[in-house]
Amino acid sequence: MNAPKLNKDQIQKIVLSVMGFIFLLYVYSNFFLGPLQRSRASMVATMQEKQKKLDHSKEDLQRAAALEQQAKNATTRFASFKALIPEGAPIAWFPPRMKLFFANQQIDRAGARLEGSTGFKQPELANWNRYNWIIDLPQAEYATLGKAIAELENTEPLLSITHVTIHTQPDAQFQQVTLAATNYILKK
Amino acid sequence: MALQLNLLHEEITAQRQRQRDPLKIGMMILGGLFAVLLLYYLWNAYRTLAIKSQLGVVERDWAKVEPSVTAAQKRAEELNNIIKTTRTLDEYIDNRFYWAPFLQIVSRCVAPNAQLTSLDGGVAEDGKSVSIVIDGVAAGREPRAAAEDLRQMLLEQLGRAYSDVKVEFRGLEDLDSIVSVGGANLAMARYSIGVTFNPTAPKAGASAPPTGREKKR
Repeated sequence: MNAPKLNKDQIQKIVLSVMGFIFLLYVYSNFFLGPLQRSRASMVATMQEKQKKLDHSKEDLQRAAALEQQAKNATTRFASFKALIPEGAPIAWFPPRMKLFFANQQIDRAGARLEGSTGFKQPELANWNRYNWIIDLPQAEYATLGKAIAELENTEPLLSITHVTIHTQPDAQFQQVTLAATNYILKK
Repeated sequence: MALQLNLLHEEITAQRQRQRDPLKIGMMILGGLFAVLLLYYLWNAYRTLAIKSQLGVVERDWAKVEPSVTAAQKRAEELNNIIKTTRTLDEYIDNRFYWAPFLQIVSRCVAPNAQLTSLDGGVAEDGKSVSIVIDGVAAGREPRAAAEDLRQMLLEQLGRAYSDVKVEFRGLEDLDSIVSVGGANLAMARYSIGVTFNPTAPKAGASAPPTGREKKR
């Protein structure tokens, strides 16, 4: 086969055609097909994500309903904890409450003062604070004190006595008592 | 054979030249290619539109259920928090040290001839140990023996309720003063007893700590 000989003009035209071809492909892929495919890919991804959410939505609804049943005890208990904590600053209600409590336990002279308060590191107790109190009972009889502490420990589940100091007084009938107590209180 | 003369040789050559024009051929190829690419583009556009329509349907469905799902997820998170918080608070409540039973045990151990003058105790921050110092005076013919009886009684009684109980004298000294109990003049001793224990109940089957009473007998 004898290939046709190309003259200079024809070679120029062939080069021009090849360049036009390359330019066409470039424009086509960068300005037409590329954006279209990118847009399609993003839509497919969005659709898959939404579809997955849709598929999981039924599961989520069922899980929440099941959890609601399981958490009945916990919610009731949590509500009872919340009910133990009155509105307002603890310094305003805790000392009068202690005074009334010990008065009901036949210990007339009682006073409570705040030592300090701290938060918790645990995330589940992020809404709670730990309050440290000193409860002074300058005149308490030992047996009465024991009963009062038992009652306090049973009726105040969020209160924990951490330190007890009992000193006899000269008349020996009464003791001077100091209690250090920690109370968990919900931030309100 | 007849002789053929091509009198239009130049014109035919020019025509062939025009037909073989590379630019023209290139343009034709480009045109064909353009048509193919256009068709491919249209096909892609059609698929994209179809996917867009599917996406619209899915988005409409999701918009219908999204409020309830979001509310359910929020409620589930809230419930999980409540469960965790309640569990932590219950652990705290269960791990508290109850002082009333301890004070009752102490009151049971104190004999009439061993008076307590002070009791000072605290729970360690981890809640795993309790330390108490009990000071007092004992009276008797042998006041030190009376104080020792109190120590042993505390060890025995506390050993039944708590584990790792240690009851040791921190100080025990005779006093010069004499006290009259029931008409008899008795010598006195001042004692200081240190008590430490773990507030957890002793393991079942574990024997109470040795009191040393048997040895005395």
